[in-house]
Amino acid sequence: MTSAELIRRRRQDVGPAIESVSEPVPGKVRMAVAPGAVVSVAKALYRDHGARFLVTAGIDSREGGNGFEVDHIFSLDKDKIFFILRTSAAAEEPEVPAITPEVPAAAWAERELQDLLGVRVEGLPDGRRLILPDDWPEGVHPLRKDMKYGDWPPLGDENAEESYPWKQAPEGTSTVVIGPYFPVLEEPTQLRLFVDGERVIDCDYRGFYNHRAIEKMGDSELTYNEIPFVSERICGICGFIHSSCYCETAEEAMGIRAPRRARYIRSLMLEIERIHSHLLWTGIAGHILGFDTVLMQTWRMREPLMWLCEKITGNRQTYGMHIIGGVRRDISEECYPEILAVVGKIEQEWIQFYDAVQGDTTLKARLVGVGMLPEETAKEIAVLGPTARGSNWDIDARADHPYAAYDEVPIRVITHPDCDNWARVVVRLEEVLESVRWVREGLKQMPDGPIMASDIPEEVPAGQWGVCTVEAPRGEAIHYVLTGGDNRPDRWRVRAPTYNNLQALPSMIKGETIADVPIILGSMDPCFSCTERVEVVNVRSGEAERLDYQELLARSRAATERLRGRRGGRPWQ
Amino acid sequence: MIISKLKEALICLKAGRVTLPYPFAPHDPEDGFHGRVVVDAEKCVGCGGCAEVCPPRCIEVTDPSPEKRVLEFFLERCTYCARCAEVCPEDAVIVTKEFETATNDLEDMHMRVEVFMSTCRRCGRCYEPPTPLDRMMVTGFRPPTGESEGA
Repeated sequence: MTSAELIRRRRQDVGPAIESVSEPVPGKVRMAVAPGAVVSVAKALYRDHGARFLVTAGIDSREGGNGFEVDHIFSLDKDKIFFILRTSAAAEEPEVPAITPEVPAAAWAERELQDLLGVRVEGLPDGRRLILPDDWPEGVHPLRKDMKYGDWPPLGDENAEESYPWKQAPEGTSTVVIGPYFPVLEEPTQLRLFVDGERVIDCDYRGFYNHRAIEKMGDSELTYNEIPFVSERICGICGFIHSSCYCETAEEAMGIRAPRRARYIRSLMLEIERIHSHLLWTGIAGHILGFDTVLMQTWRMREPLMWLCEKITGNRQTYGMHIIGGVRRDISEECYPEILAVVGKIEQEWIQFYDAVQGDTTLKARLVGVGMLPEETAKEIAVLGPTARGSNWDIDARADHPYAAYDEVPIRVITHPDCDNWARVVVRLEEVLESVRWVREGLKQMPDGPIMASDIPEEVPAGQWGVCTVEAPRGEAIHYVLTGGDNRPDRWRVRAPTYNNLQALPSMIKGETIADVPIILGSMDPCFSCTERVEVVNVRSGEAERLDYQELLARSRAATERLRGRRGGRPWQ
Repeated sequence: MIISKLKEALICLKAGRVTLPYPFAPHDPEDGFHGRVVVDAEKCVGCGGCAEVCPPRCIEVTDPSPEKRVLEFFLERCTYCARCAEVCPEDAVIVTKEFETATNDLEDMHMRVEVFMSTCRRCGRCYEPPTPLDRMMVTGFRPPTGESEGA
């Protein structure tokens, strides 16, 4: 189906409710509809056209007199169309109807909208806080433009932690709390497992303990060319995908295109990043299962690649290669043989490794048939990346919405029909080999030429937009940029793949044992960012001192105050 | 089962010992590595371009007097992107290969460059005299202090 056909069909359905349609780039449609028609259009997209829900972006347009704007972003993968469904809400007491009852994948995105912009989402099945801390005061919404970056609201009730409306444990179950500092993944997230004996019946999740307000920084502090460097720090492992995605999106919004060589360099680095990220993940998965030899060996194989990155970009991680319009460093031809040698060695060792673990019954006992995620559930929750492909769903941004150089050198999408942990492992193991193939092919076809676009405009007009996805090792990331004044975007929306994948966790761990929870969570390669009591052991005397919740809270707050005091005069240290 | 364990053992044995003796033996990064930046105070003209593009904003430019411009580098916030070196018109910002910057004293990561400027008689704004000789001729000249404090 073409975008014209899609627009025509929507006109037939809800004709008069459509306020405007724009399509600045073929295949990227934005349709503004009256709030009353949002649910029916969303439902038609999801049910009739098989569109995949990506994310919701709320925009505070009160300064321009438009109240709040809410953009639901959908993707029609096989038709290569992005469809943005826009609706608006009044400036005072904004409210929009929830699409979650029709499009289940929108659950978190709409809760986030409610938290950060204060747009009430009417009819949301689960309207609890998702992102804001428990002691954050009511009625303060950080993404609204009248809240300045760096403003701190007065701290709320000290007992707020107690009052978070956790899900009630089902009858006859006990609650096992894991986190807020998750011991296996060493990252901040909290899971409450409701268990009957060994079996997990249900769970509740609370996260976002490490929210860094990067989107807020993007539309109030940073300039267009500073954002690539900050966006790269969204993820410590696959940061390059975020700067690529932001640059591709901003370039689209500004109407420029990076030169061919720059796009090849982007793809090349993205594939190198995928290889080292998958190698890292395989090691972590082995570590979670208590098989540390896997960790040692995969990380050993990975190290030469990290040195190669350092040689190509100057940094081992967070390369800082991107600015809008291209890349900052060229890859010299002398480097090509070395790149080929390093990835060739990895390929050779990886085939050996793949062959060895394939017959390992210990590993398979923990992985095969565990953490089932059937294809229909995967599609309903809209999981991404290897988690989706392990459930036999062939979505891959590199093939569906080609960016960088993937239109010229295509990639083979790897899927597995088994829907369990093992399927997700196999998808990643094979993707490493596919990425090696791409690196070879990409280097062979690498064109000569400039690495920076020459037609970058001095001034970027406000009100233009762009949307792009990039396939990260963990799944697809999406960036949405609306240009604004002051040399910075009016709104920059980012969604990382774990945001969707984590929502599949409750259905993946249902019926499994507690011991399998870490590897099931680990199998989606999550990337996240205080208990009520902590024990401090004095190492010298060996004496244990107990801090209760109140004391710990008081200490944490004192530390926060101290840090803020130190920040003092200089901006956002 | 046994075969796969043997294959795994073979992978480990073939790799042997790979740990480097660092820090007991030096392990220098490759050319082009983004390490700590230093400023050649002789070359700096005080244009402030580096401060303009620095994503973590770790460079601060102040003009305490019409004849003096101070560039302060708070390198504990540096992200090693080397944008400052890229935009510097005089190649005064030099990216070194130094990566062992861990310290107990924050002052070790501060760098202060004082650039002596002269004031245009017509507009009152400062500019850098073209040659070192010209600089010495201007009233109130002091030799540049370079990366004196703490660096």
